[in-house]
Amino acid sequence: MSIDVRSAQASLAEIDTVVARLKQSSFYRAASILMVVWGVLVAAGYIACAVLANRAFGIWLIVDGLGIAATLATGLYYRRVGVAFDWRIVVAVLLFFAFGAACSWMGHFGPRELSAFWPILFMFGYALAGLWLGRAFILVGVGVALLIFAGYLWIDRGFELYLAAVDGGGLVIAGLWMRRA
Amino acid sequence: MVKPDDIIHQPLRLRIMAALSAGNGTGQEFDFARLKSVTQASDGNLGAHIETLERANYIEIERGYRGRRPRMLVRATPQGLRAYKEHVAFLRSIIESGELP
Repeated sequence: MSIDVRSAQASLAEIDTVVARLKQSSFYRAASILMVVWGVLVAAGYIACAVLANRAFGIWLIVDGLGIAATLATGLYYRRVGVAFDWRIVVAVLLFFAFGAACSWMGHFGPRELSAFWPILFMFGYALAGLWLGRAFILVGVGVALLIFAGYLWIDRGFELYLAAVDGGGLVIAGLWMRRA
Repeated sequence: MVKPDDIIHQPLRLRIMAALSAGNGTGQEFDFARLKSVTQASDGNLGAHIETLERANYIEIERGYRGRRPRMLVRATPQGLRAYKEHVAFLRSIIESGELP
């Protein structure tokens, strides 16, 4: 068999493409698990808030604590099975929490504004991450953020339940879809 | 000098072996759907080339079920991993020498 330089270069480029695709696929798989977990937690959080509105702070403390624990556990699992997990994701999530907490405190938001602000903030995070990680994140981030914003403008009663469906449900569906990517 | 591997050099088989050989040099296990997604091959094409690699003893296939759905797991054999590594070394040597073999 005769292989010239150009053909060898093409073959190595083909390998690089597969490796890059594989990395993205592995990342999508880890991210998809987290999206489903966060989606379920967030939906449960909104439903709980709809029922126990005066306990919202405690509910979100529990939801966020469980979500962060799940994020750390997923990272540890993927590290154990030999798949690279970028720990900067955890730091990015914590930075978003800090930024959101600062804005919430300075902005003196009402309950409705707070309910809309947090998921929109995180959806912008998804969209931003998508610039590096892939279009799926941009679609999820921008799509869900727009739906939340539309709900904030036009849905009065049952806004928490709408958020449970759009934010929580959106994350679950996006996670399952990304798993197939 | 390392030699080219006729079986692995075919573009889709090269992509399959590149995917299966990824990881810490020990290879990775893939189900058919994920391998299809990573190599961007059609069902028929992927199936045919998987058979060729299996016949060469470069990969092994585990057929089973996940729930009610049939599932095919594909992984590289030690012989396949070695052959892939040697073929990549050959490709690199071609580029480094810049001449036809």
